[in-house]
Amino acid sequence: MKHTALLASILAGSALFAAGPVKLLNVSYDPTRELYEHINAAFAKQWKAKTGQDVTIAQSHGGSGAQARSVLDGLQADVVTLALAYDIDVLAEKGKLLLANWQSKLPNGSTPYTSTIVFLVRKGNPKKIKDWDDLVRPGIGVITPNPKSSGGARWAYLAAWGYALKKNNNDENKAKEYVTRLYKNVPVLDSGARGSTTTFAQRGIGDVLLSWENEAHLALNELGDKVEIVTPSISILAEPPVAVVEKVAAKHGTTEVAKAYLEFLYSDEGQEIEAKDYYRPRSAAAAAKYADHFPKLTLFTIDEVFGGWTKAQAKHFSDGGMFDKIYTPGL
Amino acid sequence: MGYRKSLLQLTLLLALPQAGIWAQQPQTDDREAIEQEMVELRKRIDELDQRLRIADRNREIQAEADAARAKAAGSVNPALPVNGLLPAGNLVAQGSEAVVAADTTGFTIKSGDGNFLLKIGADLQVDTRSYSGAGSGSFADGMLLRRVRPTFSGTVYKYVDYFFRPDFGQGSTIIYDAYMQLNYFRHINLRVGKFKPPVGLERLQSDDDTSFVERGLPTLLVPSRDIGFQIGGDLLNRRVGYQVGVFNGVVDNSLSDAAVGSHHDYAGRVFLTPFAPNENFLSGLGVGIGATGGSVDGLGLPSYKTFGQNTFFSFASGVTEAGHRTRLAPQAYYYVGPFGLMVEDGLTEEGLQKGNVRRDIAFRAWETEFSYILTGEKKGFASPTPRHSFDPSNHGWGAVELAVRTGEFSADHSIFSYGFASPTATPRSAREWVGGVNWYLNRLVRISGDYGVTGFEGGAIGGSRIAERVLIFRFQLNFI
Repeated sequence: MKHTALLASILAGSALFAAGPVKLLNVSYDPTRELYEHINAAFAKQWKAKTGQDVTIAQSHGGSGAQARSVLDGLQADVVTLALAYDIDVLAEKGKLLLANWQSKLPNGSTPYTSTIVFLVRKGNPKKIKDWDDLVRPGIGVITPNPKSSGGARWAYLAAWGYALKKNNNDENKAKEYVTRLYKNVPVLDSGARGSTTTFAQRGIGDVLLSWENEAHLALNELGDKVEIVTPSISILAEPPVAVVEKVAAKHGTTEVAKAYLEFLYSDEGQEIEAKDYYRPRSAAAAAKYADHFPKLTLFTIDEVFGGWTKAQAKHFSDGGMFDKIYTPGL
Repeated sequence: MGYRKSLLQLTLLLALPQAGIWAQQPQTDDREAIEQEMVELRKRIDELDQRLRIADRNREIQAEADAARAKAAGSVNPALPVNGLLPAGNLVAQGSEAVVAADTTGFTIKSGDGNFLLKIGADLQVDTRSYSGAGSGSFADGMLLRRVRPTFSGTVYKYVDYFFRPDFGQGSTIIYDAYMQLNYFRHINLRVGKFKPPVGLERLQSDDDTSFVERGLPTLLVPSRDIGFQIGGDLLNRRVGYQVGVFNGVVDNSLSDAAVGSHHDYAGRVFLTPFAPNENFLSGLGVGIGATGGSVDGLGLPSYKTFGQNTFFSFASGVTEAGHRTRLAPQAYYYVGPFGLMVEDGLTEEGLQKGNVRRDIAFRAWETEFSYILTGEKKGFASPTPRHSFDPSNHGWGAVELAVRTGEFSADHSIFSYGFASPTATPRSAREWVGGVNWYLNRLVRISGDYGVTGFEGGAIGGSRIAERVLIFRFQLNFI
């Protein structure tokens, strides 16, 4: 009888502790600050209502590649919401922090929303920038972050390369020539997308910012009288993925809440928040409701043009790769 | 500064013709020429202004990068968010520059390309032992430095890891681990040096992660560290772990820096976690078996210790190892939520000789341990990380675990009839019960209190040796 009472006390104590507040760390890429502030508030409310437990989600933002290296170096991320799949593959392969099949854990290859690369130009578009060819004209200042550290910059680089390939019947030499000319017009390489927005919008440098679509709208909302968005004829379908960092979450005992957090991104409420913040939702209903946020343009995928992230990374962004060969700083 | 001067000069140049327009009222052709000149000058001013802004911005970016590196180098714990928002790119190597960092895994120096790494860690355990009962024999109550182990580990040339760990605890200096490991291939690696042979489950668990301050009885029957070569890895998405190797072949529960003869031990282990890749109630199940085989001619004799580290089993004088030794170690664990179960069996058969008598003698030891983390953290093979580190002013109390273990050690009774051990000095068997509490203040610091009772069958004149009762507290700091 005594033992039964002791066991009951232990289990009761355990349940009490288990229902205590829980913390998650979401390590994300640069321009998602506002999105995850909105998502976090909505998820915390939903989780509290469902389980009675308080959840606090801390955010960390930076260039996607840089953020992945931070997690590899010990940053205790329960979840990662990065700009591209390769950066999470690195966590699986080098860090063994999650399984190699992480993309199969959630729908749509674990990408709850998509985006693309558009142009942000000065109000009135004084340099008359309409499409990708205008970016390589002499005297045009193009602002984009460093592809070595920024996921958005890698998407932008590949969007430019893909455009040139399609325009020139898949002629790799002509694509290389085009992208080389484009990067000759890049005077400043920030480490992340948010830094490039600062360079363009606040420091007044350059004529065009190659921007995440959502980041361009954020700048437009804040600086509406100074900038405008130009949607090119063609761009890349950017698919920013999300994943639970299984090893860290298991250590923290946060696996369940971390999974629920990422699943929330696919919920009706999550999809609507994403669409409202100018991320292209997977849900048809949210996409229809916010159709005016997303102008139609031709989008190509990394798989169809570059054969996937692993190949693209090795060819273009590895040390000594194509980007290292073509980039020389300065106007 | 040059740009600023040029900008000023151009501004003056632009202003002068404008003053002339007002003063002289030029003809139309002149006015058009002046306007054209103004457009050109404005364009040049814009260009210089852009260059000025670009130079300023590049300096700003460089300063931000320098500040981030300095912050990373001085960071105590980059894993802890400040005001809920972490600085971007913390601990990130920039280009080819190395990064120095300090965090919960120790102190790190890493090359910019990540191919070279040095981590410095430490493992400090301070114990207090209080014995009661006449069976607690030769050890006096007191405090001791159980383990004092600086750790140096890392990577060279991307594919080669190294690990070096001496121990300065208990008044002696011993090299516990010194090995390198080639990791070029995904599913197979090669380890060379001094390390834990792949046999016992609890032995392969780090001493910082065990649920009790001292390991159980089956660990007495497996080697601690040995020098050798090992090929290992994992298959089927980490469902199957395997190791095979050849070693010098040390005596049970011991280590050595040199071979004691020309014989070798061959060791192997297979461990399955068939449900691990997916999170479910069976994903924490692991089952395996380790084994060694080899000659023991000329090898020294082992002795076996209780939970309180008293020697309870020793051989009679004149006994030597002779012939072959085979070890088997079936093993399993199961972790689900805060609950943990570990079971292990140790079976050894080895040749002993005294005078002209040579016989194979069997030893067996088993243990079962249960643990439960009251604060709800997930139990696993490694120590839990508390949800809330110890910080009472912010309602953080760490994690608390209860654990209980029982086990038994026994020797073949013929060991006495052949004179290999004395029945009045060495028990035929030992049975232990240990209960413990672990308080994990944070990921690095743990305070443990264990009470262990070891009873014996035989081992005294006219009966059984009196049970050992010991209370051990441990204060542990560990970061590797």
